[in-house]
Amino acid sequence: MAAGEGRRLEPLTNRRPKPMIPVGNQPVLEYVVEAVADAGIDDIVLVVGYKRDRIQTYFGDGNDWGVDVSYAVQEKQLGTGHAVLQAEPHVDGAFVVLNGDRIIEPGVVEQVIDAPREAGDAVMAVTRSKRPGDYGVVTTDGDRATDIAEKPGPHGSASEIINAGVYGFDDSVFAAIRACDVGPDGELAITSALDRLISRATVRCVRYRGQWVDLTHLWDVVSVNASVLDWFGAGIAETATVESGAVVADAVDVGGDARIGANAALRPNVTLGDNVVVGSNAVLSNAVVFPGAVIDDGAVVRDAVVGEDARVGPNTTVVGGDADVVVDGTYHEGVTFGGVLGDYADVGGGVLVEPGTRLGDDAIVESGATLTGAISPETEVRRG
Amino acid sequence: MCGIIGYVGTERALPVVADGLHRLEYRGYDSAGIALCADSLSIYKSTGVVDDLTLPESSAATCAVGHTRWSTHGKPTDANAHPHTDCHGEIAVVHNGIIDNYESLKAELADHAFTSETDTEVVPHLIEEAWNGGDLTAAVESVVDRLDGSFAICVTAEGCDEIVAARRDSPLVVGHGETGSFVASDVPAFIEHTRRVSYLENGDVATLTPDDVAVTNGGDPVDRPVETVTWDAEAAEKGGYDHYMLKEIHEQPQALRQTLSGRLDAVNGEADLDLDLPEEYVRPLEEIQIVAAGTSYHAGMYARRLLEEYADVRVSVEIASEYEVTGGRDPERTLAVAVTQSGETADTLDAMRKASRAGARTLAVTNTVGSTAAREANHTVYIRAGPEIGVAATKTFAAQVVTLGLLTVELGRERRALSTAMASDLLERLRDVPGAIQQTLDREAAVREAAETYADADAFFFIGRRFGYPVALEGALKLKEISYEHAEGFAGGELKHGPLALVTEETPVLAVLTRGGEPSDLLNNVKEVESRGAPVVGCSSLPSASKYLDVELEVEALGVFEPLVANVYLQLFAYHVARLRGRSIDRPRNLAKSVTVK
Repeated sequence: MAAGEGRRLEPLTNRRPKPMIPVGNQPVLEYVVEAVADAGIDDIVLVVGYKRDRIQTYFGDGNDWGVDVSYAVQEKQLGTGHAVLQAEPHVDGAFVVLNGDRIIEPGVVEQVIDAPREAGDAVMAVTRSKRPGDYGVVTTDGDRATDIAEKPGPHGSASEIINAGVYGFDDSVFAAIRACDVGPDGELAITSALDRLISRATVRCVRYRGQWVDLTHLWDVVSVNASVLDWFGAGIAETATVESGAVVADAVDVGGDARIGANAALRPNVTLGDNVVVGSNAVLSNAVVFPGAVIDDGAVVRDAVVGEDARVGPNTTVVGGDADVVVDGTYHEGVTFGGVLGDYADVGGGVLVEPGTRLGDDAIVESGATLTGAISPETEVRRG
Repeated sequence: MCGIIGYVGTERALPVVADGLHRLEYRGYDSAGIALCADSLSIYKSTGVVDDLTLPESSAATCAVGHTRWSTHGKPTDANAHPHTDCHGEIAVVHNGIIDNYESLKAELADHAFTSETDTEVVPHLIEEAWNGGDLTAAVESVVDRLDGSFAICVTAEGCDEIVAARRDSPLVVGHGETGSFVASDVPAFIEHTRRVSYLENGDVATLTPDDVAVTNGGDPVDRPVETVTWDAEAAEKGGYDHYMLKEIHEQPQALRQTLSGRLDAVNGEADLDLDLPEEYVRPLEEIQIVAAGTSYHAGMYARRLLEEYADVRVSVEIASEYEVTGGRDPERTLAVAVTQSGETADTLDAMRKASRAGARTLAVTNTVGSTAAREANHTVYIRAGPEIGVAATKTFAAQVVTLGLLTVELGRERRALSTAMASDLLERLRDVPGAIQQTLDREAAVREAAETYADADAFFFIGRRFGYPVALEGALKLKEISYEHAEGFAGGELKHGPLALVTEETPVLAVLTRGGEPSDLLNNVKEVESRGAPVVGCSSLPSASKYLDVELEVEALGVFEPLVANVYLQLFAYHVARLRGRSIDRPRNLAKSVTVK
């Protein structure tokens, strides 16, 4: 499922769907496709919608991953259940459903495929979370699910077992989804169908103990990047140039044709996309720099995301560290988030970027300005 | 222009050949046919695309040849479709190219029964005369010697578990597979089965048997090296887009990153295309002659300005079919640059050969590794755009201009015409082209809306100046190719010298109002058409133009490459107009992807 818009990840999702946000130099969705392919599945249907051209152009017919990829279009984002319905013409018999924005290990897909089941049973992977209230909290009896509560909040969790978002279904699920009512938000959620199936005692759980990460908030981009560099390794592309005196830590991934200037320092957990230019004496740590961006001489970028083809002027400092951030009316306290500079943003020299800043795409920032909070796309920021 | 394929091996031949023909349809699709060769020969052919053929459910034949045709001689009819046979239906021939002397040969074969108007049909009848049921290769060799013109042919005959293929001036490649031997006009036809290929040379005759391919030239055995194709032919599938053309428009950022990859050093102002042009040749070079056809010609016009302005060398751009080496030139100090996506464009190859015969060095700028242009030119640079299937060229235009932009910097530096700072600046802009095109693609909805507003117009005019002029011509060419609407491109300044008479309220004008396109001067032309009531769509980086435009499509700041980015809007506009009009976008009527006949 890769049709969603991901509004909580604005401005990064203004120009790409959430599953196409790159971490460790590949889109999140590519990790999902790889995990599915590694589990031995070679027929993949991507349910696409918002900005689907980005996904289609990237994955094509799936040949580069050794799988057949086809596309089901969800024209309007009417919920995860609705998304699954769009795939109906493409599937026949048993199939597995996953989220396109959650990176999991191939093992969980195999577990779901191999789970013992009777015809009409659904299989749901469950896992333990320290913050169960943010997810679908599942109550189980043996391998049967007995209840699922969607995002009950920090105090309403009946258990620490949550829905991992990997399901095994067969064709009968489509009827179950159709029988559900549209929720108060106008969406048809896959979890409503699960609710129905649970009440009929036909949902089996498999316990997944592996790693998983997903992109919910902007600051997750930085932490998920660190996770994938840790799991999948990092390296410097052959066509990249590292000038003398530059120091590049092990956990740094550098894309093709990138250039790292003299005496620059790349601390751990940094990803530089293709064609990125890092100037002399620049310092980056715990940061994701999308393809084509330029980090000028002497700039400092910490705990941050720099969008595609964005420019960070000389001696500009993204301070990094913890911030309190309000997204869509929800207050998030003390998240590690230096900020995000949107795609094609042009930030002048000597700009100070306070923790938690969200600079919109295509914004222009005058030299010497100080940035804080959320700034709309295409804004021109002058020094106050 | 046709596509041919042959297979002989251990598997059933029908699906192999039918599938291969699908992948060759970009070469032409007005009729198709297959000959299955088992104990007897069965021919299936008709007008239309491969899917229109009435084929048997299955066939045990393990040897077959197939053809997808593009009419040159004779109308597309069932009888004119290939394969063609001899009088007894024992010999089947598929052919790509033209046999110039077929009329005199046909006169000699007066006692043979001909069933079509094609030049090809003389070939099976000549083979019938030469063949006694024994060595088919020898018979084909003797017939090929009598043919004038350009051709690639595949021959099979009843009772022979083999295919004989011959090549002169039309492309032909053989594939060495585990389940048999393949031959085709182009690699994608059989890449699902094998990636090990050999390119045949002019005069080669190849005999394919299930486990071997033997090649002779002039009767002597020759060895053609086996190469492994690493590119990805399946990228040639549509990947969720409704049309190849739209897919290819959207692939431009990715394709151009490939074009640029590893070839520029913006810090030091250097571009390197691995050309090995000696400095003592480049420095005193007096003229570059660019020869090309269609969209490639427009890329050549763009390059002319770049080369003249930044490499300080005189450049002429010639439509390939009009090219002659004319007076006042020193061939030793002339470089002929042939720009051809396929590397097989007959007109362009012809022009390149003329230049070469006159003593000029030749440089091929092409997308196709191993193509005739690449093999015949003294130097070759690949544009690395990946396979392009849509008949209307889109990403290859952008990749050609970007490649020629790199060439400009390389030559400009070597000729000491371009300062390091200026070279850095140009290269930085080239590097930013993919990102700027992505931003343009992100605004597709606005273009679609404009197309909806104007799709029913009487005609469309495109205007531009300087670098915007070739883009205006290219925008008009795209629109006419795929929408069949009347479209013309003009230099802005020319409007008042005639074309303005065509402008009415029902003829939208699309203007390239960007840097590199003299936007202030062009704005005056916009005002001229506006006062005649024509609606104006502007691809613009000139903020002051807004108030004169009915639709404004914003172009990112990119100096002389802004018109190249604006062109992407024009591609999308053509696509959406054609879609609204229900046209066959990937296969416009009367057109083929690469034109291998004169």
